[in-house]
Amino acid sequence: MAEPENLVLQPRNVQFDWSSVPLHWVPGEPLTTHAINTLHLVLPEGERWFVHVFKQTLPLIADDKVREDVLGFIGQEAVHAEAHQGAADHLTAQGIDLGPFVAQIEWIFRSLLGDRELTGAARHQWLLERLSVIAAVEHFTAVLGQWVLDARALDAAGADPTMLDLLRWHGAEEVEHRSVAFDLYMHLDGRYLRRVRTMLVVAPVLGWLFVRSTRWLLRNDPTRPPRASWRAYFRAARRGLLPRPGQLLPATWRYLPRRYHPSQEGSTSQAVAYLASSPAAAAAS
Amino acid sequence: MIPPPPALYRRDRLMRALVPVTNAYERLSRRGARRQPPVRAVDRTLRLVVDEVVHEAADVISLRLVDPSGAPLPLWQPGCHLDVLLPSGRRRQYSLCGDPADRRAYRIAVRRIDGGDGGSVEVHATLRKGSSVAVQGPRNAFPFLDVPSYLFLAGGIGITPILPMVRAAQARGADWRLVYTGRSRASMPFLAELSGDRVVVRTDDESGVPDPVELLAHAPDRATVYCCGPVPMIDGVRAVLGRRPLHFERFSPPPVVGGEPFVVRLARTGVTVPVASDRSVLAAVREVLPSVAYSCQQGFCGTCRVRVLPGEDEMSICRDRGSGLVVLDL
Repeated sequence: MAEPENLVLQPRNVQFDWSSVPLHWVPGEPLTTHAINTLHLVLPEGERWFVHVFKQTLPLIADDKVREDVLGFIGQEAVHAEAHQGAADHLTAQGIDLGPFVAQIEWIFRSLLGDRELTGAARHQWLLERLSVIAAVEHFTAVLGQWVLDARALDAAGADPTMLDLLRWHGAEEVEHRSVAFDLYMHLDGRYLRRVRTMLVVAPVLGWLFVRSTRWLLRNDPTRPPRASWRAYFRAARRGLLPRPGQLLPATWRYLPRRYHPSQEGSTSQAVAYLASSPAAAAAS
Repeated sequence: MIPPPPALYRRDRLMRALVPVTNAYERLSRRGARRQPPVRAVDRTLRLVVDEVVHEAADVISLRLVDPSGAPLPLWQPGCHLDVLLPSGRRRQYSLCGDPADRRAYRIAVRRIDGGDGGSVEVHATLRKGSSVAVQGPRNAFPFLDVPSYLFLAGGIGITPILPMVRAAQARGADWRLVYTGRSRASMPFLAELSGDRVVVRTDDESGVPDPVELLAHAPDRATVYCCGPVPMIDGVRAVLGRRPLHFERFSPPPVVGGEPFVVRLARTGVTVPVASDRSVLAAVREVLPSVAYSCQQGFCGTCRVRVLPGEDEMSICRDRGSGLVVLDL
């Protein structure tokens, strides 16, 4: 059957109870745990920044469908930010002081990628450039969202069900809204050069942030786990606990052709089916 | 000037290097202004005419909408709705309840609710055969998935999105049951289009108010539940569902009840907007500021939070209210 199309995007008022989630929520796998915990360190600020940038695009939109999608997208991203903030606070409560790391992340999104007090054409171009960055990031969030929906190895490894539900609810909404940032970029600018150059910046920077935060978390974990190593990563990836390089690199190339559209990535029906059975989404008012 | 990053490591050269690199990148981005393509406005409105009005049940009419030139209409899937733009300016969503394979016509059905928000009364009073009607969509807030077995629960006019789903499930050879509830048979539209032993029609006047546990008892093995009906019905089903997958149509924002009228002023333009007792601040502000940001319309997502001047207090304009004159940082 055809995939559901023309979805109306709506934020879901999810709630998570972190109280029983252990520090190493993939039992015995500190590297996998902390590699994925990167999301809790980066996303609260990152997704608030998405919202900040997208709100500025609203007056420029001249297509009712794009505007409706953007409004739904903003609300979903805002709820994602708060949900990951809850997971981050739980990490803090378990003895990892995230302050110094999060201070840098805040600096990246608020200063480095902030509005920069620009005016006129420069302000407009910087807005479009950042929108193009978000479209590239959203390509990866859709790829990773689909990956986590499929990642049976995490269930098999006994990953904590509350954390898995956070990741899969979030991943499913990323798959659900995967076209919004791209469609908005194509509506407001659409130039191929800008789209390609932002991807060429985004892909290595995302990789670097994951490596950096995984290393830092392992070093600051009070249980003193082994330090991060590429060998440990490849072992986890082979078991399916983390995405393989053979999944991430081709995903990067897929964004580059002119005929790319996010609807070619991921499965809307799988995402919608997960959202219909997610405990957090089911409890949402 | 971008300040240096707060320290994480003693040197942290790469992080520090981001400052000059990003500064240069931003200057590069300015070159884009030279050949900036224009934003092309897209008109998403379909201008249709009412081809037929059918009395379907007490207070329920169905409308057949066609393109005046006979052109094929955009495709849709079971669960899709149209946004109908009424002559008064009201915008209302109605589920498509016809045949998705019929590209010539859309069918919607509307129950007249006296004492409601007036949209359904306007449809009944103003739309006749030959009337023009502007719509947007179709859009899908109730996606229908391909699964082996279904329990469809429809309450009253909630049958509309379910009807095409039932037909699709039947055509696909799925295992399905429909429980269709209503006050009385006379109040329930489309009964003539539903028959067979997979359909259970349950009326309040014969069997009393339905119990959600009893509704779910009709589910085939491992069924996915699709539910559309009044809010208490959906809430009742959700409360006793367990871990069964449930899809339900999410409704438009909850109505404002018991509100007092007041006035807001938008600080940046000085424009003053009255907020009626039955409307949200958001609805009032959108009329003068169509690009105002909002999302959930229930007060939880925080998108529409704005500062109340003077001071640092904020309000979620989709939900919060004030009194007298409220000055917003908009």
